[in-house]
Amino acid sequence: MEILEFENVSVVYPGNVEALKKVSLTIKEGEFVVIVGLSGAGKSTLLRTVNRLVEPTEGIIRIGGRDITKLNKKELKKMRAQIGMIFQNFNLVNRSRVVRNVLAGRLSYVPTWRTMLGMFPLKDKEIALSALERVRIGEKANVRADHLSGGQQQRVGIARALAQQPQIILADEPVASLDPPTSHAVMKDLRRINKEDNITTLVNLHFIDLAQEYGERIIGLRDGELVFDGPASEVDEGVFEEIYGRSITDDDLRGGTQVAPREEG
Amino acid sequence: MKINWQLFRRIVNLAVILGVIIWSMEGMNINLERIARGIPSIGNIIKLMFPPDMDFFSRSLSAMMESIQIAVIGTTIAAILAFPISFLSAAKIGVPFSVVFLAKQILNAIRTFPELILGIFFVASYGPGPLAGVMAIGINSIGMLGKLNSEIVETIDRGPIEALEASGSNRAEVFLYAIFPQVLPQFLATALYRFELNLRAATVLGLVGAGGIGVILLQSLQFRRWPVVGMSLLIIIVVVTIIDYTSAYIRKRIT
Repeated sequence: MEILEFENVSVVYPGNVEALKKVSLTIKEGEFVVIVGLSGAGKSTLLRTVNRLVEPTEGIIRIGGRDITKLNKKELKKMRAQIGMIFQNFNLVNRSRVVRNVLAGRLSYVPTWRTMLGMFPLKDKEIALSALERVRIGEKANVRADHLSGGQQQRVGIARALAQQPQIILADEPVASLDPPTSHAVMKDLRRINKEDNITTLVNLHFIDLAQEYGERIIGLRDGELVFDGPASEVDEGVFEEIYGRSITDDDLRGGTQVAPREEG
Repeated sequence: MKINWQLFRRIVNLAVILGVIIWSMEGMNINLERIARGIPSIGNIIKLMFPPDMDFFSRSLSAMMESIQIAVIGTTIAAILAFPISFLSAAKIGVPFSVVFLAKQILNAIRTFPELILGIFFVASYGPGPLAGVMAIGINSIGMLGKLNSEIVETIDRGPIEALEASGSNRAEVFLYAIFPQVLPQFLATALYRFELNLRAATVLGLVGAGGIGVILLQSLQFRRWPVVGMSLLIIIVVVTIIDYTSAYIRKRIT
């Protein structure tokens, strides 16, 4: 079943910068899609139109068959509650404890008077803690976020998204700030959660080896245009060179071993 | 001939600065001879202050406590009043430009009033006593606290804000969970720093009748009771030093 549809979606930023040009695509429930392209190709814009952190200038985006471009503020919040997002720089509150960062994923499900008093229902606390368990850092719940390593911080980011119990997870360059072994560990986590919970997952990556290894389906963007869409098995270096518009260099590879179940303290 | 403009500008700048200094000295009729002549008197007065009048120890100390209380309450009032303005005057967090502009102008206006002028003003309106001192410090500190705090707000990491907006949180939740925890320790640190400054102000505000140890200083200075002045100054120096170190230590710990 289609969960996400793009129909001729364009985004024009102020100054007449065309970030997305008439992109149309359909994503099925439970798919693990990797979006590749050079920086500036429109990957981040594409991802952010899904939860309307970026407003599409033109076109229609449907989630579960419903056009989300016309939602009012309240409907938009409700829709966003069902979409988890993971960021390159983790976007955690460094001074807050891990569990508080994860509970932030429950904010939109808990009445505001409760969140203002910090009185989360037991059920929501349990959801947050079990989200941490899912990414194997349950024991870090009461540690300040900035006392964790980069890989652990990104797993807190994943736990925060998981705490939303989302239908869709958007991951914007989730491993760009991490070293190779940690990158593989985080990609494995994303893939595992996608399989176990059947959460449709869209991941932006610029490392082609990671895209090939973890992607089921690969979407290629170049200068805001969709230039490739197909299963990862059909993708070889030639396809990437086509997407990137140049030959592939070492910088396009994350490299590193894949074996890193517990890469750091 | 080619004119060396850079050299020319330097010469002009230097001439202007020298001109202003000479103008100031001329106006006050200051010269080294007069400065030298006063030095023995300074020494004499310091000698007169010793030994400090121990009979005034407890009175001076309790007046110093009042100065501390004035500074504590004044700073607290200022911190509370400055809190909303800190956000309203911060650009880049979604407050309309016109509001930011207005709030910044209010803060600037408050800062132009010196504490002593406010002190005189509040002594006139509330009568002499510590309440006038509290009001003077409370109002005066809003300007600086608001300005420093809004700069803190402007430099926060926007990442958590984006993350919470992406998850459907409302504005109040974004504030409480993404903005507030980032700024709180630094707000406390600026308030503590301002408290250190306010403690000094509170010792002086008594000179215009606004309570605290300044009142004792004023009276003993008027009657040239130097040993009492010595006692008061000694207490001010010791207490201010202790509080400065403590406050600086706390500030270091929380940020």
